[in-house]
Amino acid sequence: MKLLQTIPLRPCTASWLVLLGLTTITFELGSNAPSQVLMAAVLALTLVKGQLVVSYFMGLRRVRPVWRLVMAAYLAAVGGLIAIAYLTA
Amino acid sequence: MKYQSQKVAKPYFIAALALFVGQIVFGLIAGLQYLHGTFLFPELPFDVTRMSHTNLLIVWLLMTFMGAAYFIVPEEAQTELYSPRLALVTFWVFLIAAALTIVAYLFVDYAHLAAITGNAILPTMGRGYLEQPLPTKIGIVLVALSLLFNVTMTLIKGRKTSINLILVGSLWGLALLFLPAFYFPHDTVKASYAWWWVVHGWVEGDWELILGALLGFILIKMTGVDREIVEKWLYIIVAMTLISGLIGIGHHYYYTGAPSYWIWLGSIFSALEPIPFILLIAFSFKMLLQRRREHPNKAAMLWALGTPIMAFLGAGLWGFMITLAPAQYYMHGTNFTAAHGHLAFFGAYAMISLAIISYAMPLLRGRTANSAAAQRWEIAGFWIMVLSMLGIALALTGAGIVTVILQRAADDPMPFMQVQDKARVFFWVREFAGVGFFIGLLVYLRSFFIAGEYEYASEMKQALAA
Amino acid sequence: MHTEASVDSAQPLPGDFAIWIFIFAELVVFGVLFGAYAFARSTHVELFNASQLTLNRAYGFANTLILVTSSYFVARATQSIKAGRGTACGNWLAAALGLGGMFLVLKLVEFHQDFAQGISLSTNLFYMFYLALTFFHFMHVVMGMAILAVVTYKAYAGRYSAANHTGVETGGSYWHMVDLVWIILFALVYVIH
Repeated sequence: MKLLQTIPLRPCTASWLVLLGLTTITFELGSNAPSQVLMAAVLALTLVKGQLVVSYFMGLRRVRPVWRLVMAAYLAAVGGLIAIAYLTA
Repeated sequence: MKYQSQKVAKPYFIAALALFVGQIVFGLIAGLQYLHGTFLFPELPFDVTRMSHTNLLIVWLLMTFMGAAYFIVPEEAQTELYSPRLALVTFWVFLIAAALTIVAYLFVDYAHLAAITGNAILPTMGRGYLEQPLPTKIGIVLVALSLLFNVTMTLIKGRKTSINLILVGSLWGLALLFLPAFYFPHDTVKASYAWWWVVHGWVEGDWELILGALLGFILIKMTGVDREIVEKWLYIIVAMTLISGLIGIGHHYYYTGAPSYWIWLGSIFSALEPIPFILLIAFSFKMLLQRRREHPNKAAMLWALGTPIMAFLGAGLWGFMITLAPAQYYMHGTNFTAAHGHLAFFGAYAMISLAIISYAMPLLRGRTANSAAAQRWEIAGFWIMVLSMLGIALALTGAGIVTVILQRAADDPMPFMQVQDKARVFFWVREFAGVGFFIGLLVYLRSFFIAGEYEYASEMKQALAA
Repeated sequence: MHTEASVDSAQPLPGDFAIWIFIFAELVVFGVLFGAYAFARSTHVELFNASQLTLNRAYGFANTLILVTSSYFVARATQSIKAGRGTACGNWLAAALGLGGMFLVLKLVEFHQDFAQGISLSTNLFYMFYLALTFFHFMHVVMGMAILAVVTYKAYAGRYSAANHTGVETGGSYWHMVDLVWIILFALVYVIH
């Protein structure tokens, strides 16, 4: 995420462009055959996208650490829950 | 109390408490009939006792809600009630109709009662909580219309606060949600849909909004916290109630002939139904911490803070315990349901009723708060009733566990009556706890007969001396 | 970095704190729904994989781009009002609302095609979750748009300023939440298999 700050764009604009790119990759990955690698890749991309929205759209990168922790924990929990369910299937 | 017309709330509250006493008496008899099946038979069979117990509950809660509406709406709207006379007439109509219905339950055979009250023309009788004969049901609709007309007219001519909008809106919901009670088709699936639209629609939807509005009103008055803050919380609680409760109705559709997707939707969304109760707890304690004044009516504050906690336990926790489809598969119709029903009805609706009565009655009797002595009795009554009800719920939970283990989940299930015998000790505990509850109720009622007002000066002197 | 961040990171949550209570409660609700989907799938993997292939992923893709962009516009609206540009704020919000409307139209077209194929809640467990989750989210988009519409109106009416922009942040935060859960929902229901 630090990388974003070096680009001469507003951080939220850069995030937006990255989000569009990651969404496209996610979409393209969808045509692959089912596998755990695919699941892990898409899930990881999704969590990164979620964190971008939280940090740069919601603007939580500027708030007290406790709130950033709450949101990061939420994303980790949902991602972890999904991963466990898919790995134990 | 700022407006003369708020006084019409008083007879509603007094009648509610009288009916409450009646409800508990029937509860004690029903509890004894669990232990001695022939007790008072054939004069008072168990089904009639049970029906009287639950119907009196509904009536006294409705009585309090109406009284609360007549008390709160004018104060919030900052104007006199549209027609105090209509409110008083409505009170007597409702009380007499309720009393006649109970008397009819007791002295007329239910099938005969159905025959003479026109159940053949429009069948409505027989479903739990909705056992009332047709004339009573029509009476309930007329009483509700009269209330709605009165409070809506008051709201229109006065100030429109969020508390008032939520309260009057949910009273409209209460009336509209009663209408499916008139739909009782032969198709048992459709009949149970209509039944739950009323019962679930009330206790897991609309009444929660009434609870929120009453609690919000009491907390604004007692803590002096900004109305704006209270209203924001209320809107969130209303939204979460509807988000979880609307689809949560699916937990009544399991295995009834309804489509099987309700097993999933009902399980997921009803599992979320504790959320609004958690928010209610957070809300009321946050208001307590932010309070700007020390209201002398400590007893009312205790009821107001006890309500969300007990409602969370009864409706949230005990409700969650039985709500997931795989759990319900084994627990359906056991005493788990009775435990949940007792703790939820008491914790949520009886307690919010007693909270608004505790806040409003001293004002209706011309004082800010009752004397310290009267409040001590009331607070003692609070604790005895709350602890006794927890005892009842735990005993019934025990009985439920016995049934599930010996009869439902067993490889070699025991016959029903044998299981009832095994659970006998829990029925005894429940009956003792019930007697405790009745004592608590009497202690609580005693507080109304201690004269005098809260005396700041003498209380202060005592506090300093100690 | 250290000095600047420590000053910066002392801020409270943007907007009214009450909306955050609501956002957290909503996130819990969606979290439970996502978990339920994932664990229901784990007992019906073949069924879920086969049924998921029948969805038109392009709809989900397009709707994700739309909602992400809409969310970005709202972020720009917040920045505009912080710089005191009320009309620009209103324009960004109106554009975000327009995209929200596009999302709804596209989702309705998709629902229409599903129903035309005879798909319903009873078809199978996958479609039950697909329809329930996307419809539940659909209702949140409707609610988010209602909130944004009020904020947009107030922005054009000049009710916000550089000093007073809590309302924009409050409505915006809710809209970002609607975007956030859709990003997870898209991946979960349309893509991951």
